[in-house]
Amino acid sequence: MANISLPQPQAQAPVFSQPGRLTLLFRYLRRNMSLTIGLLIMLFLIVFTIVGMLTIESENAYALAVSSKQPPSAEFPLGTDFFGRDMLAVMVYGTWQTALIGIIAGGAGTLVGVLLGFISAYFGGIIDAAIKGISQILMPIPVFLIQIVIAGSLDKRDVTIYTMAFIVLILAWMGPTLVMRSQVLSMKERPYVAVAKLSGVGDIGIIFTEILPNLLPFIVAQFVTQVFAAVFASFYLAIVGLGPLREPLLGNIIWAAMGQGAFFNGWWWWPVFPAVGLALILGSLALINMGLDELSNPRVRRSE
Amino acid sequence: MSLWVIGRRILFLLMVIWAAATITFFIPRLSSRNPIRERFATLARTGGFSPGDLETIVASYNQKFGLDKPLWQQYVDYMSSLARFDLGVSLNLFPKTVVELIVEALPWSIGLLIVTTILSFIIGNILGALAAWPQAPNWLRTISTSFVLLQGVPPVLLGVLLIFFIAFRANLLPISGSYSIGSVPEWSFAFAIDVLRHQILPALALIFGTVGGWVLSMRGMGITIQGEDYVLFAEHKGLSSRTIFRDYYLRNALLPQVTGFALALGNVVTSAIIVEQIFGLPGLGNVLAQAIRVNDFLVIYGIVLFITIAIATLMVLVELLYPLLDPRIRLDQ
Amino acid sequence: MKKFKILSAFVILLLLLSACGTDTPPAEDPQQGEVAPEAEEETAEEMAEEPAEEAEEEVIESIGSAEDLADIAREDTLVMGWSHATPIGTTNPWAVPGYTHQDAGAFMWEGLSYFRIFADEEAPWLAESMEYNDDFTELTITLRPEAKWSDGTPVTSRDVVFTLEGQLNRDTLAYHAAFVQFVDSIEAVDDLTTVVTFNQPAPRFKFEVLTLKFDTGINIVPAHVLEEQEDIAGFAGGIEMPHSGPYSVVAWDNTQKILDLREDWWAVEAGLIDTPDVKRIVMVNLGGQVGANMEAVAQRIVNNEMDTALDFRQDIIQSIIEQNPAVTSHTGDQPPFGYLDWWPNSLWMNTLVPPYDDARVRRAVSLAVDRDTIDEIVYSGAQVTTIYPFPLYPGLENFVAREDVQASIETHDPRRFNLEESAALMEEAGYTMNGSGLWEKDGETVNATIHGFPGIHGDIVPVLEQMLLNAGFDATINFGDDSFQQMADGAPGLYMFGHGASLVDPYAALELFHGRFSESIGTTAGNNRFSRYSNPDYDAILDEMAPLDANDPRFQELAAQAIDIYWSEQIDVPVIQWLHRIAYNQTYWTNWPTADNLGPGVNGAFWAHTGMLVVTGLEKAE
Repeated sequence: MANISLPQPQAQAPVFSQPGRLTLLFRYLRRNMSLTIGLLIMLFLIVFTIVGMLTIESENAYALAVSSKQPPSAEFPLGTDFFGRDMLAVMVYGTWQTALIGIIAGGAGTLVGVLLGFISAYFGGIIDAAIKGISQILMPIPVFLIQIVIAGSLDKRDVTIYTMAFIVLILAWMGPTLVMRSQVLSMKERPYVAVAKLSGVGDIGIIFTEILPNLLPFIVAQFVTQVFAAVFASFYLAIVGLGPLREPLLGNIIWAAMGQGAFFNGWWWWPVFPAVGLALILGSLALINMGLDELSNPRVRRSE
Repeated sequence: MSLWVIGRRILFLLMVIWAAATITFFIPRLSSRNPIRERFATLARTGGFSPGDLETIVASYNQKFGLDKPLWQQYVDYMSSLARFDLGVSLNLFPKTVVELIVEALPWSIGLLIVTTILSFIIGNILGALAAWPQAPNWLRTISTSFVLLQGVPPVLLGVLLIFFIAFRANLLPISGSYSIGSVPEWSFAFAIDVLRHQILPALALIFGTVGGWVLSMRGMGITIQGEDYVLFAEHKGLSSRTIFRDYYLRNALLPQVTGFALALGNVVTSAIIVEQIFGLPGLGNVLAQAIRVNDFLVIYGIVLFITIAIATLMVLVELLYPLLDPRIRLDQ
Repeated sequence: MKKFKILSAFVILLLLLSACGTDTPPAEDPQQGEVAPEAEEETAEEMAEEPAEEAEEEVIESIGSAEDLADIAREDTLVMGWSHATPIGTTNPWAVPGYTHQDAGAFMWEGLSYFRIFADEEAPWLAESMEYNDDFTELTITLRPEAKWSDGTPVTSRDVVFTLEGQLNRDTLAYHAAFVQFVDSIEAVDDLTTVVTFNQPAPRFKFEVLTLKFDTGINIVPAHVLEEQEDIAGFAGGIEMPHSGPYSVVAWDNTQKILDLREDWWAVEAGLIDTPDVKRIVMVNLGGQVGANMEAVAQRIVNNEMDTALDFRQDIIQSIIEQNPAVTSHTGDQPPFGYLDWWPNSLWMNTLVPPYDDARVRRAVSLAVDRDTIDEIVYSGAQVTTIYPFPLYPGLENFVAREDVQASIETHDPRRFNLEESAALMEEAGYTMNGSGLWEKDGETVNATIHGFPGIHGDIVPVLEQMLLNAGFDATINFGDDSFQQMADGAPGLYMFGHGASLVDPYAALELFHGRFSESIGTTAGNNRFSRYSNPDYDAILDEMAPLDANDPRFQELAAQAIDIYWSEQIDVPVIQWLHRIAYNQTYWTNWPTADNLGPGVNGAFWAHTGMLVVTGLEKAE
């Protein structure tokens, strides 16, 4: 956490010259509740997944593994679903798979978006016009439509969570590009950038020392947004019958539960646990994002 | 800003529309599925319908709609009819025209989507700004945080939960549909109330699902601005914290959010497709979902173009308004 | 701050602008309720030239307005939930594409005769009688003298001739192929009598084509209306089109179709039936894909908002009945809650392309399906799985009880589940097990992608997928919207689909595997003839059966031989019988046809052709 860049380097000195770094970190975490809660949830999910994967057979997350429609009990702490999946195993493997799609598609999409956004806004001219133009043209076209065409034309045996992540990624960069571009555009008019320019700092230097640190909260926010988009995109593809339906992706499970009228039939545990799982994965990211906003802003940090 | 600047933007807008129309033209053609054959397939699947020679019928319809021509010629035809504001007919729901389908569905979607998007934008931004504000009370932060967590639950599931508990179990609101069974649309107060009652749950599902996003980004923006010198300066000048909040803070943080708003309208279509289906509303999302299902490309083109134009116009407008919000940006540079 | 206000105003203004001009709810304009008459006169050529403009005049966004609608109380109204497919305003049964009797068309149009499947008897309707000559080469149709169209014109042999000749001459109509195959000529003898002459003995023509049951058979259409149309297939009909059935459309929009009882229905005057209690039918459009989002529909039935709807999964209908005691089903509150439909589902395979051109692979697939487990998991123990390509209705039950059929079952044991045997067959066919536990030959795994429909197969197909994977077949699911297209095109993989064919004798189901449907991969195979099976011996048996009456001993003997080939060759893999689990809410309406209450003796599906008999037979609850 400590190497998150700070906008005013001179502010660093007084803060870190005190006791041990670790002590300081804990003190800080106690003040920054959203960061702490977010990290704790994420830690819980990681431990849950690792311990789960070591102790629970992956077969139990698939159909016909255990007896079906069992409410939570000592044998099945989270119950079993209509198809005979052990919901505990589903949560272990499904959480991992869902996070994987989100991180691959969201991370790569954000990276591309940040790069293009920077290039576009900073250099301007034809480059800007081209990048902005292409993004704006692609932006309004419902991504969903294109994903359906691509997913629908694949051999179903090739549809895995990785191909799914890739399909989502193809069209996940325009949003970050446009947002980053407008941010950089506004930021490069700021006095400190002008000062740096006057004092002879090069473009690259300005980007890395002046602009990037200030944009970090936005980049993280974009990443979180993209992870959300990726997870939901794979969910929506499941709804239209595409995507790796057999895999215990949390979205797949929720959709299957809804298709069987789970609430109406009283099998509440079937959709509820995956929904909680989704809320925890995405919520912890969002909380960490909120926490980082504070961390990266010295003034707010001081004021607490 | 000069007229020349505005003219240039409008030109750009037209280019965006052209490019988007071109891309959308070709994408559904990558699929081998024919909407006319699909129409018969639906009938055959549900009704034991087996016409003498399906391929002959499909071929004759293909000819009727010009689908047997080379693709480039279809493209030219489509573009020229587009220039005449003619979006063509639905191939699957022939003889309906695309414009009619849109006009029929639009009121339902505008009512729901625009209202929920605006509401969620307003609520989310206020909550987000307040959450970033150092003087904000703790309970407000808690609410904001819980909205952020709620964002992880798919709107579809929220919809189903709302239906189950509020409409079905508590019997407070209708389960689905856009107005009561057996009533026919009319200009009357009772009917308007009926429609409104049917819109509450889908609107809630959409709002709950999207407010968190605005909270998150607005709060991030707000926090950054707090570190800016002008806010510090205003504080030292002794301005009341309310004034600072409103004039320095909200306004500056809003700039990127407004860009986001135009983009969000595009994203909301996907949620709408799903939510409209769950609640059985005859809106644009439902029409688009149906068109995608049977690859009815003229309808897909029409709706996508409609959305494209709306969003692109919004984005250009927002760009023209940037200098109003942030005088440091000049358009004609 | 001022600028901020201006900005908000701008954004809102723009939103309003984008809404402008389009923001008129469609239903308010009463003038739209009329079909533009000039559109009817346009010729096909004109339509081809200007489809858009032509359509604009013809299309109707909604029909009926609140002022025109008579006040009818809820207790006189029947509310049904259904996913509509017909474009608004299309009532003409010959309109292409668009008309389907399932969207309440069955309440407007009648047939010569209906078949009461559970009473196992015919119900002569527009025709008083239909009599074959001795060798089934001639059929004499005699109409009821009371039969009338809704405009008062009598239904005469002119209408019958027009209807039958239309089927013979128009390749856009559903029974064109059957007419071309069998019919030689159609002649009106007098106002009430029509004689159909066949080019070969056609013992099943009267039942399969001229009798309405389930979703098959033809409606009689009014000659005096359609003859005036230049483009009959392009004529929508509208709500004014004269029809013979009991209900007329009074309002129709995207969300519902409302039909009111016609007080001058001929069948009441003829004494054929009592005046129906149901004064109004509201067919709510559930939208979306058939069978999707049924949870909300179930809730609306529990709330007494709806009286019936399309069928439910077993667990859902069980929950409905538990939550509302006024709701019943075909078997009351006992499983399986449904009646047997004519659509038993198999895993079909294209027998022309590898790997399913090898009967051993097809058999290995069947051996991998554990039908007992399916009954237990998917149907809570009810016996739903099957080994037959047809439903066991009385006539067919007698057929399978024959000694030779039972002997075939003994020999081939089509129900057997045995993974070792399945593996042995796969090895024999040249497959080896690869590292991931899947059968492989020449580097290719067995494509066992199961194409199906999530709304109706969401429960069974994931179970089949896992069973096939456990046996080494590379199974996945395609629930995409292209799955029907894939089946029709003969794409690689397995197709979960029904055999909508036989009702009283096995001929129609067995004919699905006739070699004349086997050609042309890549084009549509026609309605559910997906196996494209080709075997001269089999065809010879079927050809010999065609002219024989089902009661002929030779027919029965040949049918037993054919079904033996079906099992020994494993043409497809029969999995489940199809049950229609329809909820009948008795809060407002009683006398639904169930196992205990024969009612009109037909199946309870309101969307079938016989739905008219279901609705007109309902009695108002006390």
